Amino acid sequence: MAAVKQTVEHVASLEKYKHGFVTDIDQEFAPKGLNADIVRFISAKKDEPEWMLQWRLEAFERWLALEEPDWAKVSFPRIDYQDSYYYAAPKTKEGPKSLDEVDPDLLETYKKLGIPLKEQEVLAGVQGAPRYAVDAVFDSVSVVTTFKKELAQAGVIFCPMSEAIREHGDLVRRYLGSVVPVSDNYFACLNSAVFSDGSFVYVPPGVRCPMELSTYFRINAENSGQFERTLIIADAGAYVSYLEGCTAPMRDENQLHAAVVELVALDDAEIKYSTVQNWYPGDPETGKGGIYNFVTKRADCRGDRSKVSWTQVETGSSITWKYPSCVLRGNESSGEFYSIAITNGRQQADTGTKMIHLGANTRSRIISKGISAGKSSNTYRGLVSAHPKARGARNFTQCDSLLIGKHCAAHTVPYIEARNGQAVFEHEATTTRLSEDQLFYAMQRGLSQEEAVQLLVNGFVKDVLQELPMEFAVEAQKLVAISLEGSVG
Amino acid sequence: MSVASAIKTGDAAELPGKRDEDWRWTDLRGLIRQVPPDSAPAAAVGAGPFDGAAEEIVVIANGEGAAHIGVDPHGDRTVALRIVSRGDGSHAARVSIDVEADGRLTLLESYEGEGSYLSQTGLVFSLGVGAQVERVVLAADDAEGVTVSEAEVQLAAEASFGQTVITGGARRQRLQTTVRHPGGHANLRLDGVYLLADKRHADLTTVVTHEGLDGVTEQLAKGVVRDQARGVFQGRIVVAEGADRTDARMGHHALILSDRAEVDARPELEIYADDVSCAHGNTVGRLDEDALFYARQRGMPDDVARALLTEAFVGEVVERIGHEPARDIAAAWVAERLRGG
Repeated sequence: MAAVKQTVEHVASLEKYKHGFVTDIDQEFAPKGLNADIVRFISAKKDEPEWMLQWRLEAFERWLALEEPDWAKVSFPRIDYQDSYYYAAPKTKEGPKSLDEVDPDLLETYKKLGIPLKEQEVLAGVQGAPRYAVDAVFDSVSVVTTFKKELAQAGVIFCPMSEAIREHGDLVRRYLGSVVPVSDNYFACLNSAVFSDGSFVYVPPGVRCPMELSTYFRINAENSGQFERTLIIADAGAYVSYLEGCTAPMRDENQLHAAVVELVALDDAEIKYSTVQNWYPGDPETGKGGIYNFVTKRADCRGDRSKVSWTQVETGSSITWKYPSCVLRGNESSGEFYSIAITNGRQQADTGTKMIHLGANTRSRIISKGISAGKSSNTYRGLVSAHPKARGARNFTQCDSLLIGKHCAAHTVPYIEARNGQAVFEHEATTTRLSEDQLFYAMQRGLSQEEAVQLLVNGFVKDVLQELPMEFAVEAQKLVAISLEGSVG
Repeated sequence: MSVASAIKTGDAAELPGKRDEDWRWTDLRGLIRQVPPDSAPAAAVGAGPFDGAAEEIVVIANGEGAAHIGVDPHGDRTVALRIVSRGDGSHAARVSIDVEADGRLTLLESYEGEGSYLSQTGLVFSLGVGAQVERVVLAADDAEGVTVSEAEVQLAAEASFGQTVITGGARRQRLQTTVRHPGGHANLRLDGVYLLADKRHADLTTVVTHEGLDGVTEQLAKGVVRDQARGVFQGRIVVAEGADRTDARMGHHALILSDRAEVDARPELEIYADDVSCAHGNTVGRLDEDALFYARQRGMPDDVARALLTEAFVGEVVERIGHEPARDIAAAWVAERLRGG
């Protein structure tokens, strides 16, 4: 109950999107627009080897031939890809080794973000600060990486993608694009050509990563699309938990975010990937100015008995279009997907997952909770498929939608394809509004309407919240409250 | 672009295929390279499955026959509608069914095919205020035939429409029902059963749009597939803005009895109103091992136990047919199929 009270207080203290601010740091831009020269420019800026440049150029060629998809239940004005910047780097000294060398404005940004992790302390180098490894992405270039040494002792590689390309070329070359092929889809292909930076994680065989890895993404420079590329490899028997959290400043022009996240789990490995996303959702009345979040996230459970778990809390962005998926290739591998998607105002979300059962005795579990309020639209779209060799495949899916208000929409579009007689798939979905009886009961006990709604909504999403790592769960609960602010009464 | 226009123009490019989202599991364009020539009039059509249960029989053979069934206000009719396909040609038919205010109609519809035909039937149901229709469909197509049946149903206020579609599949078969509830207090039951063996395919597709207040939709579809058969279920329930107090429930459950059979399902909800209660459930699996074990323990041979459990699984849908003689005919047909397989 304490957490709920905290949430309620938090909501009361909030009047507008608290992360809406702009930090003024000199940006180094690539010229506006997109062509092969820009791709070369980005590659050169990052001091990349020749093979990487070729990889990017090939992706760019393919992207030119692709058409922008339009099947999702979202609508937005056409994106002019030539009217965007594809590279922006904060001007910092080369390879800052200590925090003192970092632009104070940048540290101020982290402070304003209220990064709840004690990472503030970590970043400030306070003695005895808890051990989180933070790979902070400020626009396109990773600025600070902490605890790298300690991770290195365990043999874990956790570094910006650009560094990994230079220093761990073999690993990157072997795995990059092996889960999400270059021409997988329009946005992934664009990302392959122009990706700026991101995180690279490699956990060697049998190693349990000694700390939670986390990264904070920010979109800051006006008009700069951000194209992260994340690659996480858990070698045989390894375990890693990775947290991703996002906030972005208030802007008037829509910003495109097309990230690609690839996870590879080898035999007996486990990866837990958690996301809290609260990018600027746009003006609540007009929907103007929000982030376009078109992300490709996919995990390949390549090894036997491997496991990948996706947990996401999606409250922000004006348009969210993402399907964190699991390809269950190894025998007895398993995939999980826990999701809370909240839309309010004019937000549109089309999100869900794909569980592709290829190996024998593979298992998957999907719990999706969608909440729509205001004039928003929230779609769950998922695919569960079992191929002929996936004998003994099992899936359980539950997707529930909650509607708050007369003008919002909630859709459920599950695809189920069972291609063998030994697979067992179960799916259930419900769509309802908040129960009048429960609201009445809560209000009768002295809660205001808004408090009562918070209480019921928190109960509705509990199944997913408890899958989040502790430090994220509290933040996520607050986010749920902030997102629904003003949706009742 | 539709099957009807492909048959009319003879242009196979008009057929829906994999690239059309609503036809991704029932690809006609990939299957039919050339639209067969128009069917010649059918010779003898023999007896239909519902002949004994109906007062009147309407026959449409190879696209030829009566095209209208009407029920006067407060009238009550039980009609057997036979849609017969013979030979290797293509044919299309359109039937309109008008049931005026407070009228009642029991429509016992059968698809009877022999040959490798391409057949399309469009049915348009219009129900007046308080009208009641029960539609029972028995689709016994040829293993080489391709059948598409598209029914559009419009319900006035307080109308009720109950439907049970039972099919054994065809080479490719689509039985589609689209229902709109513009009036308030409309009541809808949309049931289906598919029993597929060999390389047969059946696709039960429904789209229900609630536009009025207090609409009720209840849907239960079950399927049993074996060998290399493929069953498809696509159900979409749309609740438009303002269609408050809609209560919609959809269930689809399928058994796969062989390693190479396939079931594809897409139970969809599309909701634009908040005061609703909608749910769907979907399961795909095999027979319950515990139940089989129990039966075996009681000395029941394995094949008998399997047949019994499968019959009980499907029986739940058949029992919901209101018209008693039709229910008996349907139950017998289902039992024969299950035991024959």
